[in-house]
Amino acid sequence: MLLQTEHVSKEFNGIYALRDINFGLRPGEIHGLVGENGAGKSTLIKLLTGVYRLREGRILWDGKPVAIHAPEDSRRLGIHVIHQDRTLILTFDGIENAYLGLEYPTRMGRVDWAAMGRRVRGVMEQLGIDLDLKKTAAELSPPQRTELEIVRAMMGECRLLILDEPTASLTDQEAQRLFGLLRDLRAKGTSILYVTHRLEEIFLLTDRVTVFRNGAQVETFATADVTREQLIASMTDNAQVRAARRGGTFGPVLLEARDISSADGAVKQGNLTVRAGEILGLFGLGGSGRTELLECIFGCRPLAGGQVFLEGEAYARPAPESSLKRGMALVPEDRRGKAMAGNLTVRENVTLSSIDAFARRGVVQGGREAAAVDGQIGALQIKLAGPKQRMIELSGGNQQKVVFARVLLTAPRVFLCDEPTQAVDVSTRSEIHRLLRQKADEGAAVLYVSSDLKELLEVADTVQVMSRGRTLERWDNEGLTQQQVLSCCYQETERGEAL
Amino acid sequence: MNKLSARKILQSYGTILALAVIVLVFSLIRPATFFTVGNFINITRQMSLLVIISLGTTLVMSINEFDLSVGSMASFGGILAALMAVNGVPMPVCFLVPLLASAVIGAVNGWVVARFKVLSFITTLGMSTVLSGLTYRLSGGATIFQGIPDSFSTLGNLRFGRLPLLSVLMAVFVAVFWFLMSHTTLGRKLYAIGGSEETARIAGIRVKKYKIIAFALCGVLACATGMLVASRVGSANTTAGDGYFLQSYATVFIGCTVSRKGVPNVLGTLVGAAILGVVANGLTMLQMPTYVQDIITGGIIIFAVIAQKLGRGDAR
Repeated sequence: MLLQTEHVSKEFNGIYALRDINFGLRPGEIHGLVGENGAGKSTLIKLLTGVYRLREGRILWDGKPVAIHAPEDSRRLGIHVIHQDRTLILTFDGIENAYLGLEYPTRMGRVDWAAMGRRVRGVMEQLGIDLDLKKTAAELSPPQRTELEIVRAMMGECRLLILDEPTASLTDQEAQRLFGLLRDLRAKGTSILYVTHRLEEIFLLTDRVTVFRNGAQVETFATADVTREQLIASMTDNAQVRAARRGGTFGPVLLEARDISSADGAVKQGNLTVRAGEILGLFGLGGSGRTELLECIFGCRPLAGGQVFLEGEAYARPAPESSLKRGMALVPEDRRGKAMAGNLTVRENVTLSSIDAFARRGVVQGGREAAAVDGQIGALQIKLAGPKQRMIELSGGNQQKVVFARVLLTAPRVFLCDEPTQAVDVSTRSEIHRLLRQKADEGAAVLYVSSDLKELLEVADTVQVMSRGRTLERWDNEGLTQQQVLSCCYQETERGEAL
Repeated sequence: MNKLSARKILQSYGTILALAVIVLVFSLIRPATFFTVGNFINITRQMSLLVIISLGTTLVMSINEFDLSVGSMASFGGILAALMAVNGVPMPVCFLVPLLASAVIGAVNGWVVARFKVLSFITTLGMSTVLSGLTYRLSGGATIFQGIPDSFSTLGNLRFGRLPLLSVLMAVFVAVFWFLMSHTTLGRKLYAIGGSEETARIAGIRVKKYKIIAFALCGVLACATGMLVASRVGSANTTAGDGYFLQSYATVFIGCTVSRKGVPNVLGTLVGAAILGVVANGLTMLQMPTYVQDIITGGIIIFAVIAQKLGRGDAR
């Protein structure tokens, strides 16, 4: 065993986030770690990387007990971590980022940039990664940034690479490249601990998989011996059911976008209609302009041309406040940056959009507000210490529920949801699906963006593709296959690249 | 467990505890002069102007912006009011016109920051320089004291029995702005913008409008402070407000430590001003030179910021 944890526990203020973890990692294996949000995956990573101090149990490295008190200790052992929120310095170029935390080589007292470049390029060559090192991290695409992080991890001796949801912002194609890289690393003897919510990646990639639930280690499986259903069953107490698809007819068109183009060129031609009772799944690869199209419709991204219609009426000059007033709400993709104020309380976040409705002449009526907030917390089963808890302290899934609670209090008829289940645990994910289906059944129109095609086929009534800033074909989701949708997408992408 | 709760108490009430300790120390050293009702009333009067200007700073900092022009706005307000008083303008007009002017200037600050997304640091630094220039143009650089009517000095010097009007004004301002920040939609929206501007915008809050309101109110409060200073001393100086600028930020920074969330808040600002006020008063009584006051005040600010970091667990 490369790494073993013996009776490792971690408590915060008397509540155990991890309890008695006995976990082993073999040299040269890709080991998956799955569990709902709040299951303790991040806590384990933080213990291994010295962010948290270990107080109960011990960690063995090569069979010998080690003390990891600080990130430096962890790096010295050869443990590197790639986080969901990438940790590159955006204004630094590739070489500077690769050398973060390392001593710069000098020549006659001056930084020897040539030698640094050679060493970084050497590592890239070994890994088969091709990057323009002159570009700053800000200029790189999300997958390129992940690659740069891997290069950085490989600059020294890396015996254990930990990846925390590395594909959250990657498209399938980009993820495939990453998987290839990880398999090469495994072949070279590096162990990989791979944390993800996407179960198909577990089956594609890992040798073994460990399941955490409520801070305890449920089981470790050899990936070949376990099915998707078994994994889900051990992650949750009850097996999940697929969201029921609705048959029948739809009502009138509630949202129509006609020839939308954005001022920055990210959206070139957006055309779509969503009817009452319909969930339209909008699928597009990274950079296809799907997020931007939603933002144009909602009014938080400047339009260059086109027209939005709500319930048949032209909606000129969209802006967030008027969109909400007209019954259209947006659940943004970037939760931390655009959907919540982490330092505010849960209560303040829930009523962020509807506070005027709980006030008379500008004075907030605390009782009415509290009742509404409690109602939402109950209805959405948000787990928290109390409505005055700070938003940032909640788990990802519960944060997303709070975002939905805020949106629901504006009583929308049109929902624009951008990757609403990203980095959310399995049970919250299906709760969100159920909620949106329920709203659709009550007559709302739902525009649902996801880069997870399987998910779209689970929830959507109709599916439309977007590529290179343009909306394309649209199908009823009956007997629709992933291949059909994907081939349309890639065709367009390739055609675009050939131009 | 006991140790833990002791730490919690220190986090929540540490700053107030510090104020109590400071009061206690001075009371022990100078029981006869410091620990008297008269002196405490005196302290409230001395800190009242700092409190009023700091309320404006609190508003602007609650939306995560800075207004560096509060000092020169105060000087500007004092000079403009005094000049009109000298020229025989009716007293209410003398006080109203500068307030209106400052609201407009503050709104311009907010508009530039919100509309063009210029850093508020730079915008208000520029505005501060413009105001200094205007103030100089109005006064010719001289202190205005000749010909100021007695009625001009009433506001700053009136007493109800032993209680100075300034102390009463301070209490009223604190009450009004406390209510505004914690019980109105305006306060909620300002804190939301401060929490995450982009989130607030997407949540349908009209960020531009509320930024302009915050800067305008900040300007008005700074101007009011400047006029009260002029009224109190019976003269207006082109740099009378400058000293308040740093002090008001110190006050708000100390005030942030009173809040569990670490955000600017009205009661915290009051506590912050009280700490600075008591220290200044006590040291004066001990006949310490002003540079000692500066050193101690600066030390308190740095200590307050560290305490806040520790309290929020940022420093692990």
